[in-house]
Amino acid sequence: MKLTDEEKRILDGEQGYLAQKCMEFLVAYGEAAGAERLVDIDGTADLHPGMKSSWIPDYAITLEEIEEAAKRGEKFKVPTFANKPIAPGFIVDGWETCCTWPNSDPEYHKKCMRNIQPFIQMGMIPTLSCDYYLVSSYSPTVGQHCSWGESSAIPWCNAILGARTNIDGCFQTAYLGKVPAYDMHLDENRVATVLVESETELKSDMEYDLFGWAVGEAVGLKVPAIVGIGKPTTSQLVKMNSSLNTGGEVRMYHIPGLTPEAPTLEAAFKGNKIKERIVITRQDLRRVYDMLNYAKDDDVDFVFLGCPHYNIIEVQKVARLLEGKRCKANLWVMTNPWTYKMAEMAGYKDIIERAGGKFLSGTCAGEMRGEMPPTKVMATDSAKQNYYITGHLHPKKLQVWYGTMEECIDAAITGKWRGEWRL
Amino acid sequence: MASDEKRIILRGRKVIGGIAEGEALVSKKPLMGWGNVNEKLGFTTERNHPLFEVPFKGKVLVFPEPRGSGGFMGYGRTRAYGNHPAAFVYRKVCTLTIFAAMIAKIPTVTDFDIDPLEVIETGDYVIVNGDEGIVEVIKKNKETQR
Repeated sequence: MKLTDEEKRILDGEQGYLAQKCMEFLVAYGEAAGAERLVDIDGTADLHPGMKSSWIPDYAITLEEIEEAAKRGEKFKVPTFANKPIAPGFIVDGWETCCTWPNSDPEYHKKCMRNIQPFIQMGMIPTLSCDYYLVSSYSPTVGQHCSWGESSAIPWCNAILGARTNIDGCFQTAYLGKVPAYDMHLDENRVATVLVESETELKSDMEYDLFGWAVGEAVGLKVPAIVGIGKPTTSQLVKMNSSLNTGGEVRMYHIPGLTPEAPTLEAAFKGNKIKERIVITRQDLRRVYDMLNYAKDDDVDFVFLGCPHYNIIEVQKVARLLEGKRCKANLWVMTNPWTYKMAEMAGYKDIIERAGGKFLSGTCAGEMRGEMPPTKVMATDSAKQNYYITGHLHPKKLQVWYGTMEECIDAAITGKWRGEWRL
Repeated sequence: MASDEKRIILRGRKVIGGIAEGEALVSKKPLMGWGNVNEKLGFTTERNHPLFEVPFKGKVLVFPEPRGSGGFMGYGRTRAYGNHPAAFVYRKVCTLTIFAAMIAKIPTVTDFDIDPLEVIETGDYVIVNGDEGIVEVIKKNKETQR
């Protein structure tokens, strides 16, 4: 990899030990990636704050080193946002009500919040969410280089915003404001390579979730140009992105006329001939739906909503469905801390809590490694959460139902699963 | 049965250098991490996966590509528990597989002239030369396999 003179000086330690250590990581990473150079981040970075804000243990920056840097008054080089905390994931708001251990312990919460303070001191915005990009109030623009993490966030950055990121947001990229220039940073890797047609227009949020999964499975790492889906809402795009990057590894896609790099279908393919064409049918959606309904027992103990973290309109919908009702099953509604405050002001938090639900922010059942109320049968409206949670709990067996938000709320109120395929 | 041996050479690009050899464990289906890999025990916990609970310790793990979360790193973190594969061989490079290889610190080759999934089957003996980007496959004798 070719380094600039300034980058070489950083590697030689001229800008201090921490910068040197970060550069050593970027060089090793860039070389393993086959990158020819580093590129300056002119967009934004995010990182998962906590004990593992570095990806590779050999190049890890310890919490003590980050604390010292914060004390010295050092700052992140670029606008940096907090993804959901990991190692450990913890509940940011509403932990007092969760009734699970260790998150209900005030000392535990204090310790977790203390761990992320040095990051905040260095300039990380405490958005603390997998979909912080919905509330960050500052987004990268078309063509800007970024360094992000998280399944649903990667296609948001690349496809929806037209900015450029691989899955590498971490302390080092934010601290140096640099990232290896390969894969999604290069024009040639962003061009559509496969045309994906939806047999019918998609309408419900669940259809977008299932469609994303089916496309991900079919195309893997390719860049699809997607046609025939209709006009997705923000909730639907977030759901589809999450599924595209769970059922498969779709980091970038085009929707001609909607996403910024594809005003037309021809533009999505940069004038190249379309060599591969895939049609996603109703049957494909049904197959994914059946795969996600991994339960037999109708008695539901636990309903988990908010993967990716619910936006304010989704929380509003939940509140309307729960108004004046009482839950029989445990219900967790998860959002990001910013939306949490908004929902508090709007009275939605009170409505959810009066119905017996828990309103929480900043993490999810998966990231808490299965810390949840005692559960034999769970229900969720998220393909991603559904498919990972059985792995998180392994070897413990868990049954999971999958359906719409309305069906999940119905299960929370009645304690029974009454969802069915209605498309 | 050395006379029945069939050797095939695949040429690709180094991700991580070093030389390792072992029996191949092939997953035609992409591998998924986060909750769906058990770092301590060294196997996938993805329900419905053909390699569910099949240990990959000491094997040359051959797969097309990753799918899903950044938690794919878990395949690399098996190293901390001594349950890591001997080498990684995969079709296409992306951030997740790069990081997993850097964490595991095992010979890793990708971007081949011939699709490794067309050539390598579970049980074949594979020598991975990460430094040269070369993978040598010694096909398992079909007769003795039965």
